[in-house]
Amino acid sequence: MTRVRGIGLLTGWGAGAAALPIEATRAADGRRVIALAPPPSDGERFRRATRECRLGVAAVEAALADAGLSRSAISGPGTALVYVTAAAYGSSNRIFVDAYGKGGAASGLYFPYTAPSAVPAEVAIDCGLRGGYVILVGGAATCVEAFWQAATLLAAGRCERALVLAVETFAECEDLWARGRWAVRGPLVEAAACAVLEGGGGVRYAVATAPAALETLARRRAGETLACEPLVGLALARDAGEQHAALTGQWRGRRTAVTLGLPAATGAAAHA
Amino acid sequence: MEDVLTPPVAIVAAGVATPLGLGLETFWSGLVTGVDGTSRIERFDVSGLRVGRGGEIKKLAALADAASMSCRASAMLLTAADDLLSHAALAADRGRIAVVLGTALGGVDELDRAIHAAPGPRAAAAGLYDSPAHALARRLDARGPVLTVSTACASGATAIGVGADLLSADAADLVVAGGYDILCRFVMRGFDALRSLTRDRVRPFDRRRSGLLLGEAAGLVLLARDTEARTPLGRLLGHASSSDGSHIAAPDADGRGLEHALRGAMATAGITATDVDLVSAHGTGTALNDRIETDVIKRVLGAHAYRVPMNSIKGALGHTMGAAATLEAIMCLLAARDGVVPCTVGYEEPDPACDLDYVPRAARHARTRISLSTSLGFGGCNAALVLEGGA
Repeated sequence: MTRVRGIGLLTGWGAGAAALPIEATRAADGRRVIALAPPPSDGERFRRATRECRLGVAAVEAALADAGLSRSAISGPGTALVYVTAAAYGSSNRIFVDAYGKGGAASGLYFPYTAPSAVPAEVAIDCGLRGGYVILVGGAATCVEAFWQAATLLAAGRCERALVLAVETFAECEDLWARGRWAVRGPLVEAAACAVLEGGGGVRYAVATAPAALETLARRRAGETLACEPLVGLALARDAGEQHAALTGQWRGRRTAVTLGLPAATGAAAHA
Repeated sequence: MEDVLTPPVAIVAAGVATPLGLGLETFWSGLVTGVDGTSRIERFDVSGLRVGRGGEIKKLAALADAASMSCRASAMLLTAADDLLSHAALAADRGRIAVVLGTALGGVDELDRAIHAAPGPRAAAAGLYDSPAHALARRLDARGPVLTVSTACASGATAIGVGADLLSADAADLVVAGGYDILCRFVMRGFDALRSLTRDRVRPFDRRRSGLLLGEAAGLVLLARDTEARTPLGRLLGHASSSDGSHIAAPDADGRGLEHALRGAMATAGITATDVDLVSAHGTGTALNDRIETDVIKRVLGAHAYRVPMNSIKGALGHTMGAAATLEAIMCLLAARDGVVPCTVGYEEPDPACDLDYVPRAARHARTRISLSTSLGFGGCNAALVLEGGA
């Protein structure tokens, strides 16, 4: 069965599931966006990289630490990366659109960072990943589909290990998200999260008609984290000592489901 | 790590909207006759750009349904879907029909509009990358999985691979898969700033190649489990993806990621180098891409690389980004159907660093059954498909 070896979770509330408030709406205290600052820049290497790229790299680092894996252990063609986001490219695109909209010169050096593929690209460069590579765009239901895709790659022997990574940032497009507040309720909580998967098989693609308990809990504790929500649920389940996590996610009127095996609090799991 | 043979997937039918024409046969006729579909861009102001040419669809609004869509990407997709549906019906329970689309840009033109011109919530929602996929799913009444893939310019191939995986996982009975992208200010500004666009014509693998031109298009294929399709256009035998892990905008100089994807696709298809009858190259017409692709194909196919025709259709269409790989896959299947390999439009003078058979000057009669299609994208995205025509 596909099992989770490690989880890294960063949200606007702090690092790990333990940093999540009991009730996100109350903790937000009227704030529409709970921002997440990236870690200090690593000098020249990330000089041009966007905030969401650096958050993605930080989430993978946290997941690897949790799994007890080094970067060298995942470099090369044996590790696949499945990235998902509903919003993170919006921040970089907004900056680029504003640059030429105001008559300024839109930089060619910045342009590659407007693609959704920029975040996993920086992760792949940082870790030397050359394995299977899928990038999905969508919210929580799409993250569940990302878990299914990662499990499919594992089961088909196309990788030995898979990372499922999600990053969501909102601050740069806060005004646009406010226009859709009837559809995406707040608070919007920026997040970056990653799970390290191993094993293979036993993961079926399923449609769900109702939210699993973890979906409801993750939403209540973290707030709206879009594609990161199932990863928040995963972190909460692991910290609660669960052996399996039944994950559901909803996006644009569709809800999908997947079940993953969890290790008994290992590595840095108990650290939360 | 051992690749498992994947069950073949039937490609039942295809539909396109391209600068060469709005239907499959017009597209194919343009490729076979070597038409250059690039022209001066007319839909938006390009006066401030170094290069104002591209593969623009001039007559999209001629279709009533498409004209009713304010989102050009969705309009192109619906046009391609109309074409696809003229070749095959979606005969399945609506909840078992999936849509998987690849795009490099999604609804970014709508985002631009939402920021500068349209203040409402609908405009903001349309700026999400996955809005066109959901618009297509609504129009098709497809109520199964709806996925948007964005592996930059490899998106159209990755989407077909994910679609095949959905069928293998029994998550759907039919999958409408493919890719799209439009020409818009956003992408023209970006590539112009990168100095990636050529003032010459696009010349894939040519000694004088100096860059790419962008194009807009939508390409769709209808996928079904192989056992359930009666007279398919062809089959997808294998697919794989990889990352370079080397550079944010340039391909890996040694093409290691691309090689891994190609070998992976061939392994899942259960074929060897000598089984390959045609290589459909990414072939952008940039100095680096074309040299790297040539080197990788020589490593993967060995001596057989010199015996296989390898074309690029980007000289005819421009680089249609998210649509490119799907259109190239469709080209492979049509080539097998008709026994004709389109030439590489714009290729005239050989480059010693690119020494394979790029099908110069004119289309060629050739019996091609198995094709290998390669795709690369920003951020080191690679994807490869193994296709069988005339199944």
